[in-house]
Amino acid sequence: MELYNQLKSDVRFIEGLKSCMNCGVCTAICPAAEFFDYDPRVLMSVIQSKDNTQIEELLKSDTIWNCGQCMSCKTRCPRGNCPGLIISVLRKLSQEMGYFTESKKGRQQYAIVKAIGKTMLEHGYCVYPEIVVPAAHPEQGPVWEWVFNNKEAVYDRLGANLAMEGAGTLRKIATKNLAEIKAIFDQTGGTELFETIENFSRKKAKGMGMMKEDGKMDNYTEGLMNG
Amino acid sequence: MNTQKTIVTIGAGIAGIESSVALSKLGYRVILVEKDKTIGGKINNYYHLFPNNRPAVDIKNYMDEQCRIHDLTIYKNTEINKVQKKGERFSVTTSNDDILKADALLVATGFEYFNGMQKEEYGYKIYDNVITSIDLEEKLRSGKQITTAQGKEPKRIAFVHCVGSRDEKSGNHYCSRLCCITGVKQAMELNSRFPNSLVYCFYIDLRMYSMEYESLYRSAQEKFGIQFIRGKVSEVSENKEGTLQIKAEDTLSGRPLRMEMDLVVLLVGMVPGQGTEKMKSVAALESNSHGFLESNDWQLHKNSSSQPGIFLTGACNGPMSIDETMEHARSAAFEVHTYLQNHSKHE
Repeated sequence: MELYNQLKSDVRFIEGLKSCMNCGVCTAICPAAEFFDYDPRVLMSVIQSKDNTQIEELLKSDTIWNCGQCMSCKTRCPRGNCPGLIISVLRKLSQEMGYFTESKKGRQQYAIVKAIGKTMLEHGYCVYPEIVVPAAHPEQGPVWEWVFNNKEAVYDRLGANLAMEGAGTLRKIATKNLAEIKAIFDQTGGTELFETIENFSRKKAKGMGMMKEDGKMDNYTEGLMNG
Repeated sequence: MNTQKTIVTIGAGIAGIESSVALSKLGYRVILVEKDKTIGGKINNYYHLFPNNRPAVDIKNYMDEQCRIHDLTIYKNTEINKVQKKGERFSVTTSNDDILKADALLVATGFEYFNGMQKEEYGYKIYDNVITSIDLEEKLRSGKQITTAQGKEPKRIAFVHCVGSRDEKSGNHYCSRLCCITGVKQAMELNSRFPNSLVYCFYIDLRMYSMEYESLYRSAQEKFGIQFIRGKVSEVSENKEGTLQIKAEDTLSGRPLRMEMDLVVLLVGMVPGQGTEKMKSVAALESNSHGFLESNDWQLHKNSSSQPGIFLTGACNGPMSIDETMEHARSAAFEVHTYLQNHSKHE
């Protein structure tokens, strides 16, 4: 009940779950449910039960990190619920409480902060070529590896303006604009959330014996995406 | 004394006819107004009736016979354009500009089928092999051979329950009550025509609210091998060959499914009829949150509307089966009778 009340205090919860009759239409439309051991209907049932133990299990599980936030569930639910929004609420609470470090997919939050979080603040882009390192992204295949190794020439040939002043795709974002992005993160709690995720992750890495004496946690980071 | 009193009944479906016949038996003068060129309303659309497989034409013949025996006055192709109350009497203007005087009005304007096209994800009128339960009933009734759009015998058939019912997305929060049993009846009908076919019913909850309905459901499983899968269908798509692919979750095993079908039948729900909609404005009748005409008293006076002297009968009041409609119609007649008797006492 305690965790349920915490979830309920999030404004997205009101839109996300009114009452569920277990028709399964969300699972039937869910792309993630086709590939993973993931069932948004069951998730809604657990939340609806208000059972603290089960909700805690969810917050510590891989389950809540399977959703791709496509929100197809919203378009179908005959009760006007949106499991995708409930996922957002669960993820936020899992991050705030540090429960995300209890599951493998949850621990990937750290890698996301370090990769996408970093490029957002440093370059003004979510996904930036330099972070999609072929060794960490085998799914991108040999073509990407070639592009990555020849990126200056390739982007130039394609008419992009990679990391350069002036207009164009992937151009360098002005310092004052980057400062604005940072200010938005500071004001909206984004910076604090990044710090929270980092602190819990460092604690976990230490607990797992994956932190070196100099405070580096390369083993922890490498293990997150692969293996 | 009764013979001086006149009742105008709006709608000559089974509710309107049965209540008018009952009032006629009680000695009243009844005028039936029907918007269509034929009487009987929706009964004309059905083949066999649940739960006993009785031909619907039996009911139609009974209605015709009763109208003849009691010599009911019926205005066909006629709608009601205006209702005015002058003192205790009503003045009703028809679409032919006739003015009918009445001591009481009986509204029997019925229901309409949910328009399957509104649930675009099921592909009705987009994919040729998606039909509604009403289309199927018409095919059965006409006696024509049932095939897929490609002219083949359907081998795999899916019934989709709750199309336009229990669905906030269609604006219909209520259960239409009769689609479940219609699905069971039609699934058995198709399986007996095509004994080698596999018939599936995709449902949220099966609402077999009569003793006989539950028996039929059991027969469907035991004698016809109909497969009931608990899960709402999320969408239908078409394969190159014109067969259909449907997606649902088997919620009892917690597994998402994709299945190929030759024919998909949408069990469309019941919504207020056009005439019912019109009565809300013409006679200032209140409707409930679902759009059906509101009873003045749900438990004690189901047939009374929000206006004194105007009574409700049949599916204008909410989804109901044929047997329930017949009872509702007779109780309406009695309510009208009681009202008119009390009024003559006070006059």
